[in-house]
Amino acid sequence: MRVNPNYTPDILADLWQSQAQEQTAIQQLATGKRVNMPSDDPAAAAADVQNQALQSQNDQYIQNTSNLDGSLQTADSALSSVVTALNQAISLGVQGANGGVSSADQQALALQVQSIQSQLVQLGNTSYQGSFLFGGTATQSAPFALDSTQPSGVLYSGNSGVNNVEIAPGSSLQVNLPGSQIFQGAGGNIMSSIQQLVTALQSGNTTNIGTATTQVGSALSYVSEQRVFYGSAVSQLNSNQSFLQQEQVSLQTQDTSLVGVDFAKAATDLSQAQAAQSATLAALAQIIPQSLLNYLK
Amino acid sequence: MGSLSSSMWIAAEALGADQGALDATSNNIANQNTPGYSREIPVLTDAAPTVEGNITYGNGVVLEQIQSVRDQVLQIQISDQNQQQGSAQAQYSAMQQVQGLFSDPTTGIGADATTFFNSISQLSTDPTSIPDRQAVLTAAQTVASDFNSTEQNLDSIQSGLNQSVTQTVTQINTLTKQIAQLNIQVGQMQQLGQDPGTLGDQETQLIQQLSQLTTVNQIQTENGLTLTTGNGTPLVVGGQSFALQTTNGPAGMTDISSQGQDVTSSLQGGQLGGDLQVRDTVIPGLLSQVDTLASQFATSINVAQASGYDLNGNAGQPIFSDTSGAGAASNLKVSMTDPSLIAASSDGTQGSNGNVANLLAVQTQALPAGESPVNAYANLVSQTGNLTSQANAEVTASTASLNQLNDQLGAVSGVSLDEETTNLMNYQRAYEASARVITTVDALTQSVLDMGSGVTAAP
Repeated sequence: MRVNPNYTPDILADLWQSQAQEQTAIQQLATGKRVNMPSDDPAAAAADVQNQALQSQNDQYIQNTSNLDGSLQTADSALSSVVTALNQAISLGVQGANGGVSSADQQALALQVQSIQSQLVQLGNTSYQGSFLFGGTATQSAPFALDSTQPSGVLYSGNSGVNNVEIAPGSSLQVNLPGSQIFQGAGGNIMSSIQQLVTALQSGNTTNIGTATTQVGSALSYVSEQRVFYGSAVSQLNSNQSFLQQEQVSLQTQDTSLVGVDFAKAATDLSQAQAAQSATLAALAQIIPQSLLNYLK
Repeated sequence: MGSLSSSMWIAAEALGADQGALDATSNNIANQNTPGYSREIPVLTDAAPTVEGNITYGNGVVLEQIQSVRDQVLQIQISDQNQQQGSAQAQYSAMQQVQGLFSDPTTGIGADATTFFNSISQLSTDPTSIPDRQAVLTAAQTVASDFNSTEQNLDSIQSGLNQSVTQTVTQINTLTKQIAQLNIQVGQMQQLGQDPGTLGDQETQLIQQLSQLTTVNQIQTENGLTLTTGNGTPLVVGGQSFALQTTNGPAGMTDISSQGQDVTSSLQGGQLGGDLQVRDTVIPGLLSQVDTLASQFATSINVAQASGYDLNGNAGQPIFSDTSGAGAASNLKVSMTDPSLIAASSDGTQGSNGNVANLLAVQTQALPAGESPVNAYANLVSQTGNLTSQANAEVTASTASLNQLNDQLGAVSGVSLDEETTNLMNYQRAYEASARVITTVDALTQSVLDMGSGVTAAP
């Protein structure tokens, strides 16, 4: 049977094929990626786009988490100072309610409580990086000011707004309590109980001083409850941070299995392609010079 | 009755026949590497005999014809694979450029849209921060310029294909003109029962080149070959070729017509068909998706802006200029310049971040076209990847098939040096033998002449 006498195109095609395989393997080894172009694996390339988006989003959640940490810690420590101040006010109230205390002493105690009142106003105006933490969402002006025309002696100019920040996919964290809720809440109004204590000390009425001190006490337990919000927000951030870091590792692992190269396989492919190529070249070198003419003298 | 002179004639005819056969062999060897050449074989037959009484005298050999060895069916199969390979190759090379626009998962529309949403998320932790707000605007500009450049790059690949279409039409017209000229000669020879020989090879070779460029149907008629496009538009009828015309169509794209009829959409196969497929179907499809994504992304962000308040307490203004329809992606611009105008607030106070949730919702919620922005982009990546790998698979398949068909054709028509060398020796021996017959008959004739003169031949 007659065969195609011109076999060089076939051998060249084989040669090109093994060269192409060699190039693919080298590219995979060099980039560490199995998918270097969408056509290498269209589904994996598309999934890689989504995976990269999730990784980048996850990085931002980690960033958000550390951004929030500072303001929440600051708010928590401000409330801790509020607790200390209220404890001082209570002990001053207890002294003032004592029957043996002189009127002059009561006036002196009233002055001390007034200074606690100013300190509380200052704590209510705690700011972090230029934003007031207890003004609700009105963060750009000091929310509390002493104002003798107010029944509580203090004017609150903030609002009752709260902010939420997304810290994980589909999960938001409330990042503030409005100052009106912390300092003038229905469960224990710090500002008005302090104002009443000042008024009672100034008037010297021990019964009123006693009542006002009790009210400061209930304001104290109320603010301690409010403080739990910040404490638990901080601990939620901490656990979120480790969740996000695990998530990042798992996204990276997914990405590697999507588009990463199997180094052993790529190296094997490379040596196979090289072997095929040298075999083809050797065959080509052997065959081409052969013809009947070589044997005719 | 046999005679010396008839023996002489038989030998002389044989010399001529062997010389013709040697010619054919020599021509085969000379053309062993000529593309499209079909080996030629001398057709030798024995001459009509002379009958005298009971004796039939053979009258030697006649070289009837030198015939090219062809396989018309294989040629048609090769032409069919040629047009498939041409089309797949054209699509593959265009799609490689296209997929390059979508190949890096860390840049481009998908990644930069995510960066944009991240900047908004960052702003939610400190809604009054001007640097954070500026970062949002910068990220928005990056997204807009990604849309711009993606569309512009697709446009420029499309106009590159358009140039290729115009050039290919010129090549087709040159080829059909050449084929028509050969077709007259080949047709005349075939009508006279002659073998068209190398003219036939040339014509076949030109038809194969033509089928690399577009699908060609071949119909053999009394007046030679008729070639049409796949859809029946005539290209060559007998000695006449029908040139394809190019005219400027809508959107700067070249339309192709034949005898006043627009045939652009009916041209398939070959490089022309492949280029037209990507130019007129694939790229417009991608452009429309990119436009839709750009316009719906911008609109959704602008709508979310409008539901909130900026740093001055005013209702949110659009971040992006409104664009829609064709060219939406390349026209997308960031219209906002003042970072304080980003509407993070939901209640008009500066410190509120309540509207960030509405802006971020655009990231995860489906746009009207049905998918979230990143998924819509991922979809573009997988589409371009699939089209490229399909075209690549078709190139591989049609190339393998072509190699196999060419092997088969080579087995029929290819020049084998071993075979030609063997033939060369055979015809050489035959020529030598016939020459010996002539010298022998000559000697005999001399003897006969000498018989008359009484002189005997020298011992």
